[in-house]
Amino acid sequence: MYKDKKFFDLGYYKFTGSWAWMLHRLSGLALIFYLSAHIWVISTISKGPEGFDRVMGVLASPLFKLLEVGLWGIILFHAFNGIRVVIVDFWKGSLHHKKLFFIMIFIAFLLWVAGGYLIVSHM
Amino acid sequence: MSKEKRIIKILRYDPANDKKPHWVDYTGEFDSDSTILDVLNDIHWKTDGSLAYRRSCRSGICGSCAMKVNGQNILACETPIHKFKGKIKIEPLPGFAIIKDLVVDMDLFFEKLKKVKPYLVVDKPLPDKEFTQSPEEFEYIRESVTCILCGACTSSCPSLWGNEDYLGPAALLKAYRFIFDTRDDGANERMDIVNDKNGIWRCHTIFNCMEACPKDIKITEYLSRLKVKIVENSI
Repeated sequence: MYKDKKFFDLGYYKFTGSWAWMLHRLSGLALIFYLSAHIWVISTISKGPEGFDRVMGVLASPLFKLLEVGLWGIILFHAFNGIRVVIVDFWKGSLHHKKLFFIMIFIAFLLWVAGGYLIVSHM
Repeated sequence: MSKEKRIIKILRYDPANDKKPHWVDYTGEFDSDSTILDVLNDIHWKTDGSLAYRRSCRSGICGSCAMKVNGQNILACETPIHKFKGKIKIEPLPGFAIIKDLVVDMDLFFEKLKKVKPYLVVDKPLPDKEFTQSPEEFEYIRESVTCILCGACTSSCPSLWGNEDYLGPAALLKAYRFIFDTRDDGANERMDIVNDKNGIWRCHTIFNCMEACPKDIKITEYLSRLKVKIVENSI
């Protein structure tokens, strides 16, 4: 007998539900990475005010502002798809899960544009 | 009826000679409303008698011929080839071990089914005549009783690809079918079995099972109802 050790079958990712799930996992990993980086950045305060100010100076650069806009998008996707998953699981959302996905993405997109504008305009 | 030339790619695996499955191309002329099973029969009877696949009723009720065609699990006997454009790629069900060609090992699938006690458990005295249900009571389980155990849903589930101990949608749907059956008394026992680390909580509502089900059973909806019942019971 032959057992394929493939962890997942990318050829099967063509439906809204599976993409929502995959993106939810990936955005979750990105948020874990961000939180670790965030804790490291805050920890530099233990090296005194100069060290902390230097790191903060780097983070004030336009590149990091743009990354912040991306982070805001990832947070919104993860949060709103998370709400969708809860609705699907506990409030009979599974019959309308595709519609729900696009509604959630739309709300997240509006908030992303609004928040992104605020971040960029304070650059 | 028009005949058309189609290229059929089949993932072949012979345990006696092959280390890994490999693609073999077949070309043939088929009626546009032939089913995938007709195509496989044609190849098996006329071109290559060594091709192994499961089939029985050829009318979508035995659940033998589930396989993956052009990246989606379907029942070969009720899917016409005109649904697919271009080459037709036929593979065995993903997530299961391959015995030969399109024949997969379903032992684990049926073991999991047995785990959820897929039969009526009755403690109360049996009625003299019929064991009746009202139409409203039957409505809860009307769709879930139509499951033909083809394995298309369980095989399409990414949670199962990651962890083969996960019960999978078919077994969980069977649990739902009996837990929500008003004649049954084994609900608590079954809910304990399902409320396990390899049980219902590994369902991440990916919906591949619902897309794959050839009987259009709203599997994820029923698993969600089961989740709600388990949470309500444990409060």
